Amino acid sequence: MRAVSGPGASNVGVDSVISRLDYEQNALHHSCLLVLLRGVGPSRARILQRAFEKVRRVNNIKVTDSSGNVRNVYFRFIHDHPVEHNDWGDFQTHRRLLGLVTIGKFDNQTELNELCRHHESLKVRYGSTLYESRAIFFGPDADSNSIINHQMKDGLSVVDNKHAVLQTIGEHGVRPDTGTKECQPGRIQDEYTTPSNFKSQAFFYREQDSCVDLEARIGDFLNALFWVLESRRLERSREKAEKVSLLLAPFEKRDFVGLDMESRNNRKRCVGRVMKNLADLSLQAGLLDEALSLYHNANETLRSVGDSLWVGASEEGLCAASAVILYPQMREIETLHRNASLQETGTSPLRKTPEKWRASDATKKINVTAATTTDALTSHSSSCSSVSSILTNNSSASGTPTTSTSSSSTSTISAVAPMGHRNGELPGNILKPEEIPNYYRKAIINYSKYRHAATIETEAALKATRICIEQNSPLDVAMFLQNILYINLSMSEPERVKQFEIITELYQQIGYQRKAAFFQRLAALKHVHQGSQAPDWTQSYRLLLGSFTGYLLSLDSLEVLENAAGWPALQIDLLQSLITAARRLGHSALATRHMTFLLQTQWGNMTATEQSEMAVQLQNLSAQCEGSPVPLVLENGTVIPPANLTDLPYCMKVVVKDLPPHLRPQRIKIAKADSGPFLFTPIHFNSVDSRDKKKNKNKIAFLWVQSDLCEVCVTLRNPLPFELPVTDMRLLTNGVVFESLPQTIILQPHAPTHISLHGTPIETGQLDLQGYSTHTLGVKSNCRLKHMRGRNLPPNYLVEVIPALPRIAIKTSLPQTATFSNMSRADIVVTSASLTLYNGESSSCTITVRNESDTLPLEHLEVSINSNVEQELQKKMFRIDDKALQAQLPVAPLSTIEFILHIYADADFVCPLPPAAGSVHSNSGGASNEHGASSLSPYSNMSGHASLPMRVGSPDHRRQQESQNLNVRSTLSGAQQSLASLNVQPGAVGGLPNLRPAQSSQHIEAQLRLKYSGGEALVAGYCRQCAVSFNLELLPSAQITSWDVLPAEIASQFYLVLDISNLTAQEMSLNYTDNKNILIEAKESCRVPIPVDRCSLEQVCIARAAEVAENLERELCFRTQLLSFSDALSKLCSTHIAERVKINWLLTGTDIKGVASLRGIVLSHEMVDLTTVSPIQWYISFQDAPVQPHSEMTCTVGQRAQLSISLTNQSLQPLKNLVLTIKFYQDYLNGMENYNLETRVAISGPNRITIPVLEKSAQSQHNCSVIFFTPGRFKASIECATRPQQQGSGILTRSCPEATKLSQLETLSSPSANLNTLSASSLDEQQPHVWKFIPPIEVTVMEP
Amino acid sequence: MAFCIAVIGKDNAPLYLTTSDLERELDLQYHVHAALDVVEEKCLIGKGAPESKELYLGLLFSTENHKIYGFVTNSRIKFIVVIDSCNVALRENEVRVIFRNLHMLYTDAVCNPFYIPGEQLTSKKFDRAVQKLMSGNI
Repeated sequence: MRAVSGPGASNVGVDSVISRLDYEQNALHHSCLLVLLRGVGPSRARILQRAFEKVRRVNNIKVTDSSGNVRNVYFRFIHDHPVEHNDWGDFQTHRRLLGLVTIGKFDNQTELNELCRHHESLKVRYGSTLYESRAIFFGPDADSNSIINHQMKDGLSVVDNKHAVLQTIGEHGVRPDTGTKECQPGRIQDEYTTPSNFKSQAFFYREQDSCVDLEARIGDFLNALFWVLESRRLERSREKAEKVSLLLAPFEKRDFVGLDMESRNNRKRCVGRVMKNLADLSLQAGLLDEALSLYHNANETLRSVGDSLWVGASEEGLCAASAVILYPQMREIETLHRNASLQETGTSPLRKTPEKWRASDATKKINVTAATTTDALTSHSSSCSSVSSILTNNSSASGTPTTSTSSSSTSTISAVAPMGHRNGELPGNILKPEEIPNYYRKAIINYSKYRHAATIETEAALKATRICIEQNSPLDVAMFLQNILYINLSMSEPERVKQFEIITELYQQIGYQRKAAFFQRLAALKHVHQGSQAPDWTQSYRLLLGSFTGYLLSLDSLEVLENAAGWPALQIDLLQSLITAARRLGHSALATRHMTFLLQTQWGNMTATEQSEMAVQLQNLSAQCEGSPVPLVLENGTVIPPANLTDLPYCMKVVVKDLPPHLRPQRIKIAKADSGPFLFTPIHFNSVDSRDKKKNKNKIAFLWVQSDLCEVCVTLRNPLPFELPVTDMRLLTNGVVFESLPQTIILQPHAPTHISLHGTPIETGQLDLQGYSTHTLGVKSNCRLKHMRGRNLPPNYLVEVIPALPRIAIKTSLPQTATFSNMSRADIVVTSASLTLYNGESSSCTITVRNESDTLPLEHLEVSINSNVEQELQKKMFRIDDKALQAQLPVAPLSTIEFILHIYADADFVCPLPPAAGSVHSNSGGASNEHGASSLSPYSNMSGHASLPMRVGSPDHRRQQESQNLNVRSTLSGAQQSLASLNVQPGAVGGLPNLRPAQSSQHIEAQLRLKYSGGEALVAGYCRQCAVSFNLELLPSAQITSWDVLPAEIASQFYLVLDISNLTAQEMSLNYTDNKNILIEAKESCRVPIPVDRCSLEQVCIARAAEVAENLERELCFRTQLLSFSDALSKLCSTHIAERVKINWLLTGTDIKGVASLRGIVLSHEMVDLTTVSPIQWYISFQDAPVQPHSEMTCTVGQRAQLSISLTNQSLQPLKNLVLTIKFYQDYLNGMENYNLETRVAISGPNRITIPVLEKSAQSQHNCSVIFFTPGRFKASIECATRPQQQGSGILTRSCPEATKLSQLETLSSPSANLNTLSASSLDEQQPHVWKFIPPIEVTVMEP
Repeated sequence: MAFCIAVIGKDNAPLYLTTSDLERELDLQYHVHAALDVVEEKCLIGKGAPESKELYLGLLFSTENHKIYGFVTNSRIKFIVVIDSCNVALRENEVRVIFRNLHMLYTDAVCNPFYIPGEQLTSKKFDRAVQKLMSGNI
């Protein structure tokens, strides 16, 4: 068969092959009439854009033909049309250029002439096929036109085609030769004339004209075209089958030379080809049904003669005709797709997944299955792009095209076609949608048999692809596109690139991003092919960038890292190609950016060597252009977002540092508003607070201060094997204005390095620390914490910045200490002072405070002392005149104030000496006891009698403050059996420091804390705190080692006898009363008597009442610690003594002096009785003469002497169980007293009188007579003793008062009847008391 | 026999890739990557009926030099084999055999309790076996 000429068989000149592919073609273009729309003249096309749009919009007309059918005729406007394409016009009629419209703008006559010339030359070029032409001219605006050309000529130039077309037009009478109607006043065509050789119809408009009638005119023009076409069709259809000539494809011309055209086969061939040609014309003329059947017939006829090329053409025509019916919406897609693809490039590639497309695909499939019967409807609604579907739905809903305006004619009109078909049936011979690809496949196979039909084949494949896209069968799309590559089409490199780009675009349409990327990359590489003469790096770069999507890359490095998807090897390669392209383009900023991107995103996918190589490359690139974190905008508007090297160096830890302790801001404590009776409640009524806290998890707990240097510590690691210099590291912040200080560092390979980044907040408010910026490898990066992955870093830190606070410097007048304080909050100490004092000595320290801030005054200063001694004692030791201090405020900037701190070395002077120091009365019993005493004394706060043997009740109670368990038997000097009941409460001793060895030197640490503030921060309630640490060394001075109370000569006084030792190394002068001084050698002691006034009875009463009340209260409260009864009276006496007795000491030879107080002295009951004024007032008369103190009384031997004793109860309470005892004795004045005077004196009546009760203010009288048998000096001791009520335990009570109390407690706790009476009585009453008549009566007995 | 054998994970990132020609490795990687679109498409079609799902996907696409075949496991791991186009002798059945063997090798490899699914396959044993498979002598 002749027709089946193999690809190599017909080696006709290449000129017959269509040189340029029309990549934009789709199946529907088969039905369009081709019109060339061209702008002419100087490049002002943009001004005329509106006109272009207007013309372009009229791409469809409806014509009612002679038989009354409405024909839908479509037109395709193109910019450019190679003349060779016309040669294929016989093969496929839609390839013929039928119309010409030129649009031009002129300013003067010459330009107009030029435009006309252009138009004419185009007419000539396409003369062979052109039916009709129009020119649209835009002239200058009327007002600007000064010269009015009056050369009136008929503006209308008659269309004059050389062909018979003119006649045809004439025949039909359609031609609008009424151009003369356009004559209006001031018409532009009146001013300018077209040259005589310009024979086309021209429309003149002003530049600013709205061209209202342009569309109508174009419509007329298109009508004209249609009618010419229609006439052609009719002509063709009327041709006799026998007479038809053979239609040829351009390359076939030589194949049929010399063949017998009359053979049956060839005859058939001719008929078939003509039929196919007629079908093409019918399709163009809007006769779809006719076209379909003609195509079918032609297909059959041609196939029977084996005319493969034309069989293919008829198959393609069949597909086209079917597609026109099935997919009318494709007409809009053509324009809409372009926009859609634009949008796609605008959105982020990684976010946009192919699934989106696929989702619509799925729904479409459902639609297909659901509505297989109504193919047209289905295909109509299942448009590819959502936009178009909305459009079509819209139009179908509207129903009639008339609802929309004429300007949007295309969309509405296109929707009419299927509707018309839906009303009527679809033509029976239409191809089913699923058949179309098959037919295309067949057509392509047929075409592929001819080498010269490669272009046709390619175009057919593209058309098929577009149909398949419309049908949503991506695999078919892939198949057809794949096929395109196999077509052996000789094309230039740019052509090939273009082809790749088209393929890319089509793949993108079906969501095959990878395929698309593959071809895009190929196209990019083709642009800069090695053999290429003029490598186009710009295009290459653009395409490479475009292929990012397919490789799951995004321009934004963050996104890439987030997704961490894709094919690392390919991504790296692509990026490297991109970098090369950018470099070759000379755009080093871009190259640097992409290199940074590569390092940032692909770090994990590279080997260590690659990493360092890339890093070096980046360094080289950035040497040309430094990278900075700003977006780069390409010429085409693409924005390349910044790439930051967040992990180079790798940040391991970020620590936001608080200010140094002494600069740390604190809240000034204000009296807290009473928030209810509960100290703590888990329920938060103002839950706003807690919610706020939850919200700001990254909120830093501490505060920063405005214009104070702040610090953030960052730990960095250099992952590169070489030294990495990082310069200009700064903190990145948000919110408050923050001045960061740059930091430069050189990081050693792989070693973690700590770096402190500093900065100063300039404003107050919330500071948002986001990260830091670096400048490394020549690239500036903003490393934000939120972008650092794989570490447990918060996205940011929020720090509250408070208003600026003043800053102070402190100096003291004392020398600084060498040692550091180990007290709590030692961190706020800014300076220290040390001082050594003897116990009881006073000193002072001047503290200078300087306000160091330049601007802020110091308005608030609060001084407090904190020490390791108790509060009470501390108050005595340190004293500041707060008022004087406050008066000095405010302190102006850079000025100073001073204040004085008074220090008094308070110590416990009343303290027994350890045995080593030597005691006055070393009649100690047992070393162990001694030891016990000495070790106990510090704990028990009470000083018993120094060298007394002490028995430790229980060692476990050593640390107890209560000393009830200690039984101290005093065997003190006067051989007087005194029982020291040592139940002294700690409070009673007045806050003596515990564990305070008084004998050795003692260290006291104290902090003088200053809270200060000023300016706005004060208003906001913030202050700073700093401290001065004081180190006080207290040396022992005088020490009272033991004491006793002796009755004085007068009843209102008593003698306090003290053993005072000098513990210093110097001689001490002791002033113990107003005028008595004593010198004590170093380490010596001496005994001094001090007369003291007795404690008045009123005080005793008050004390007792208090005690009773306390006891009652205790009992009511059921306290368990009932053991801690306080001996109010003893306390009272102790303070009484402490108040009155002050011992001033002075170290002779120095001016060191001090005062020793007797605070904390503990008295036994006997001592107490002596100390207080006796409740019994004695009135004693001897021989009827009242006894005066120290008065001499005489009587004679053997003579009766009357002794009358009268007792009055002065106290407020009745005294019970009083025993009045009268004893005579002889005092030998050598310490010996002889009571055995049975032979020397006799008393008439009892010498022991019991008085059961002595009521308040009551008097009791006792008279007796005394007879002395021998002369001499006698003394009478008259005493009144009370005994506790428990008679049975009387002895026990005497020896062990504790036991008494314990037993009493037992009774207290038992529900006995006498509970109340017992508990109500004071402890004192339950103690045995002895009141003596002081001084004893002295009687001198003389010989008669 | 085969140019390139690739194991590709669920998220279309390569788990393992080997080629007979190291110089062309990158090029082949590009091809394999481009083939994934079709694989996904075919997987999508197979989604409807999981029981009847054919693991072997057949020829994905072919170029002048290569034919690219695909296979997808039930866990959406994709195997891609690139075969020389010139090798006419190789039948599709043999390709199926390659895939079946590769599937077994892969199963063995991921049975290793120390292998975390989704990680790169670095097993030397697997590599050796695949190399053997590629050269055609199993």
